[in-house]
Amino acid sequence: MSTIVKKSPLGQPSIVKIFHWVNLISLFGMITSGLQIYNANPVFGGREGIHIPWVVTLGGWLAGGRNWHFAMMWVYGLNLLAYGLYIFWTKRWRDRFVATGDLKALQASSNSKRRNYAWHRIVYTSIIPILVLAIASGLSMYQPVQFYWLASLFGDWQTLRTAHFMTVPLVLLFTFLHSSLALGVGEGKIATAFLKLKNSN
Amino acid sequence: MLEESNKISRRQILQWAGAGLVVNVAGTLLYDPIGRISMPVNEWMGALLLSPQPTPDFPISAIEPDKLIVNSYRGVPSIDPATFKLKISGAVTNPVSLDLATIHQMPLISMVTRLVCVEGWAAIVQWGGVRLRDLLTLAQPLPTAKYVYFKSADGYYESWDLASSVHPQTLLAYQMNGQDLPAENGAPLRLAAPIKLGYKQSKWVTEVVVTSELLPKRGYWEDLGYEWFGGL
Repeated sequence: MSTIVKKSPLGQPSIVKIFHWVNLISLFGMITSGLQIYNANPVFGGREGIHIPWVVTLGGWLAGGRNWHFAMMWVYGLNLLAYGLYIFWTKRWRDRFVATGDLKALQASSNSKRRNYAWHRIVYTSIIPILVLAIASGLSMYQPVQFYWLASLFGDWQTLRTAHFMTVPLVLLFTFLHSSLALGVGEGKIATAFLKLKNSN
Repeated sequence: MLEESNKISRRQILQWAGAGLVVNVAGTLLYDPIGRISMPVNEWMGALLLSPQPTPDFPISAIEPDKLIVNSYRGVPSIDPATFKLKISGAVTNPVSLDLATIHQMPLISMVTRLVCVEGWAAIVQWGGVRLRDLLTLAQPLPTAKYVYFKSADGYYESWDLASSVHPQTLLAYQMNGQDLPAENGAPLRLAAPIKLGYKQSKWVTEVVVTSELLPKRGYWEDLGYEWFGGL
């Protein structure tokens, strides 16, 4: 039984699992430290506005949140860059992201597993624009003068802050949909293939 | 069977909550060592990114007077403009002490730039004042000069790198949004620059000291944990 799982086309190379885990953990750090920074002057309502409960924040105070946020950004950004180079180099991008076949399957296929898989790839692909939005809006707030051309794309400061904040609910929604689908497709084999660092024999 | 699975899930919830608390507490305990690793990298990056060219001005119609929040740490100090002198000393060949009349005769620079606070808010402000570069030129910094310290009448202190200090948009401002700089915003002289976070822009500046070394006390907020470079 275990040999079947190991030889499954869903088995993932260790490097992909490492990319996945580093992304998961660093994104968790970015969100929690970002919410700490948010609390210094809430995006919605300013100082008297809606604060985030301390339990989901990281760093203890503004300087602590910023230390974590601007340390974790390197881990997050470099991991994403390495992953990008990897999928490009190995031509993995060709068959991991959503393709026209998936859209056709959703319209025509009566095979529920195929349809599930199509949904999975659509949702998976959606993380790319979400992560690009996170980085573009983040860089715009971090270096609004040196990258003024990037910051100006977001309009005024409040719009920029809101766009950067929106990456939090978007990532959380993505995580919920993506993990539900990964657990659902192939009776959880996709989830296992990407999360387990050691094969259980 | 159902009861058992409920127990397990309750235990799992407690385990997750416990792990979350551990991460939360560790996040507070470890922020300083984390900063010691990341801040030098980020400061190096900030210095590397800093362009000596001015950033484009916003139109005057874009100013946001209602968005500018007044932050100070000890309230507004009382300064008599008639006897006020700005001292420039340290690693310079010609230490000077300038009264306001002299400073007001120097070339007046106006700019409409965004002030970004470390807390996350921002406001577009019109500033009028003299370039710090012009003031430093009067004092003639030594070739060894690398840092500029700012002492304020309220006891606030700051230090900047020389490249940021001689940036064409680094002003000692005495006008704000078309009027004389209000006392609560730093009159008679305050630092104003789009290239640095708000906490770097000292109000009520009375002394400028040029140094070749970064001293142990680098700035009020920096000594409490904020990044020293603070570039934007």
